[in-house]
Amino acid sequence: MDPSHLILTLLLTATLAPLVSCLVVLFIGKRVMGTASGWFATVVMAVAFGCALWALLAWMGWPAAQRHTIVLAVPWIPLPGSETPWLYLGGMVDSLTVAMMAMVTGVSMLVHLYSIGYMEGDARFERFFAYLSLFTFSMLGIVMSHSLIMLFVFWELVGLTSYLLIGFWFEKRAPQLACRKAFVMNRIGDMGFLIGFGILFWKLGGNVFLPAVAGNGRVSMFEALRQAIEAQGYSINHPPLWLTAAGIGLFFGAVGKSAQFPLHTWLPDAMEGPTPVSSIVHSATMVAAGVYLTARIYPILTPGAHLFVATIGLITLTIAAAMALVMTDIKRVLAYSTLSQLGYMVLGLGAGAWTFALFHLITHAFFKCCLFQCSGSVINASHHEQDMRQYGGLGKKMPITAGAYLVSTLAISGASLPFMGIGLTGGFYSKDGIIAGCYNYGSALAVAGHTLGPIFYWTPLIIAFVTVFYMARSFALTFMGQPRNKHLYEHVHEAPWTMTVPQVALALSAVLAMPMVLPFLHLINGSMPTVSWVQPGQADHMKVAYEHVEKGLLFGVAWIIVLLGGIAMYRPGMKYGHRVATLPGVNVLYTWTHNKFYFDALYDIFIVGCGKALAFIVGTFDKYIVDGLVNLAGLIGKGTGFFIGSFDKLVVDGAVNAAADLTQAGGRTLRLTQPGRVRVYVLLTFATGVVVTLIVVAAAMLR
Amino acid sequence: MDALIHISLIHFVIVSILLASAGVGTILTKRNAIGILIGVELILNASALNLVAFARFHPWAPQGGPALDGVMFTVFIIVLAAAEAAIALGIFLNLYNTLGTVDVEKAQEMKG
Repeated sequence: MDPSHLILTLLLTATLAPLVSCLVVLFIGKRVMGTASGWFATVVMAVAFGCALWALLAWMGWPAAQRHTIVLAVPWIPLPGSETPWLYLGGMVDSLTVAMMAMVTGVSMLVHLYSIGYMEGDARFERFFAYLSLFTFSMLGIVMSHSLIMLFVFWELVGLTSYLLIGFWFEKRAPQLACRKAFVMNRIGDMGFLIGFGILFWKLGGNVFLPAVAGNGRVSMFEALRQAIEAQGYSINHPPLWLTAAGIGLFFGAVGKSAQFPLHTWLPDAMEGPTPVSSIVHSATMVAAGVYLTARIYPILTPGAHLFVATIGLITLTIAAAMALVMTDIKRVLAYSTLSQLGYMVLGLGAGAWTFALFHLITHAFFKCCLFQCSGSVINASHHEQDMRQYGGLGKKMPITAGAYLVSTLAISGASLPFMGIGLTGGFYSKDGIIAGCYNYGSALAVAGHTLGPIFYWTPLIIAFVTVFYMARSFALTFMGQPRNKHLYEHVHEAPWTMTVPQVALALSAVLAMPMVLPFLHLINGSMPTVSWVQPGQADHMKVAYEHVEKGLLFGVAWIIVLLGGIAMYRPGMKYGHRVATLPGVNVLYTWTHNKFYFDALYDIFIVGCGKALAFIVGTFDKYIVDGLVNLAGLIGKGTGFFIGSFDKLVVDGAVNAAADLTQAGGRTLRLTQPGRVRVYVLLTFATGVVVTLIVVAAAMLR
Repeated sequence: MDALIHISLIHFVIVSILLASAGVGTILTKRNAIGILIGVELILNASALNLVAFARFHPWAPQGGPALDGVMFTVFIIVLAAAEAAIALGIFLNLYNTLGTVDVEKAQEMKG
């Protein structure tokens, strides 16, 4: 039986459930549900997770030979005059979608549960859950979307909700700045996305809007796009320049969302948000969106674009690991480690290790979410102290948190059993696969004559040990040794069960991922796009990966040495670290790294400075020329008004006033004849009589 | 003596004019209402004197007696004067009750 309807229904339910929960909590959360809205949102997420898990099982139970991409396309906006009659609304399901859905809903559910404990007593408790659910919904929308345009809609929704969540404590100055920075940095990336999209639209027309219904409807959406490109006579292998530019443009959207160099500066600042936000941003949702997009546009990335992607990933993973080495704020260490791991994923995608990059995305989501939740528990217990130099010995008081942190540290380190090449955690396989892919890519580049090719192999390998070291450092500084701040230590307590349960569940999933590695790799590999340019031998990554592990047994021993070395060095606190940092030669590097390679200052001087200068020029133009014209018009109006006003005042009012004055003067004169004194009246009467008499007499006499 | 015997119309008229002028002068100069009333009586009497004189010297008057119409008028004027004095005095009493004085200059309000 074809389970595609069941899978589609389940996944759509899982996608829309967080939206419903968001709306319910938003409208009746505060008045009706109160703090129960946290539980409501968590339960809804659990339902979504159940649906996604069921869909995953149904998908895996579907015989691989009959499996095909499921596409839902509902006509949405008519596009008259275009090759495609409609803009379609809908979704697409393939192996990657199914795996991502299960991961996102699972992590999000645990973050919801964790938030109930972490956000307890917050004034906007209900709203936090509404935002968190909306955030999850947007990410699920990205995972489910079937065309670039739909993906972009949810892409922007992720940008908006991350802004709301990072700036959740907007009363404070730092979160305000951080959320603005995150939004603006993402905007720059989105600009790249739009440019890439615009180039594709310019060259391909309405085909860009085509969902994956091309052919027999059994290909993924970007496969369809690639077919459209090839149908027009272009080749991915020998591409025109615009195709490379479009790929790099689309990838720039991912650079913004996944915080790759050079737009990486927002992610550490996003630590200002509540810790549950950090844990979900750094694992399942926002940064994963960028890697997911890169994975989806993979079929249309040209060799040049691949080199670009790999280079960006390489730079990011190196500088981020360097910065993670010197940070003392526990959340910032984790933030830079996320950057570094994202660099691995992007490098993996660029180098062609598609399956392993996405597998790393999923394993990383679990252990990084766990690490952040543990750090949140520590921060919560120590009255929002985030400086690791103030910690020390917390493991005795918080054994569950310390245990979960240790397991996740092993997972992110890629722990493996020495001499056996068997990973202890999923993290080992995913990272090792990426490094193996990089080895192939670097070799291929070297064969092709690029002398710098081996960098793509050696750098991620070295940085893998750096990862082990800085994670050992953060673990040792926080949980081991003697308490360095007695007052803080006395008040530390284990987190409530709503916070420890998700931590333990995530830590367990990092370990239990191990036996599921092979089926999972097969699953994700199922939706690996076929790319013609990939070098021979590179397609079969898994074989290469295992060979690589057998060859590199040294890795298994070396990482333990590094781990123990890191713990030994930082167990007593920062004193050995300081000693190393002040060594001649190292101290320069230390200063550079500690100041985040001056990226913020550079952006401040060049970009913000240029912006300010431009604003000044525009402002001056506005002030003197535009305002001048306006003022001139005003002046003319004023003059005309004055003239008309004067006419009114002098002539019109003058006539009226003159009439009034005349009447008044007449009245005043006539009033003299009516003084109200009897004698005057009598006198007048007689005088009149006399005058009349005289006239009569005179007239009589004259006649 | 001759002059006394020949008292003609002009003498009556002159007396009448003097009387009327005295009346007018009284009205013009007096502020006391009673004084004014006296002035008015003087003018009335001047006119009465005039009428009597004209009746006596009228060309159509019967020999040795006055023309009766003029005398009749005079009698009416006397009656009228009496009535007028009575009414005027009544007004003055009211004026005094209201204002506490009979000074006509003070009676300037239209309503009381």
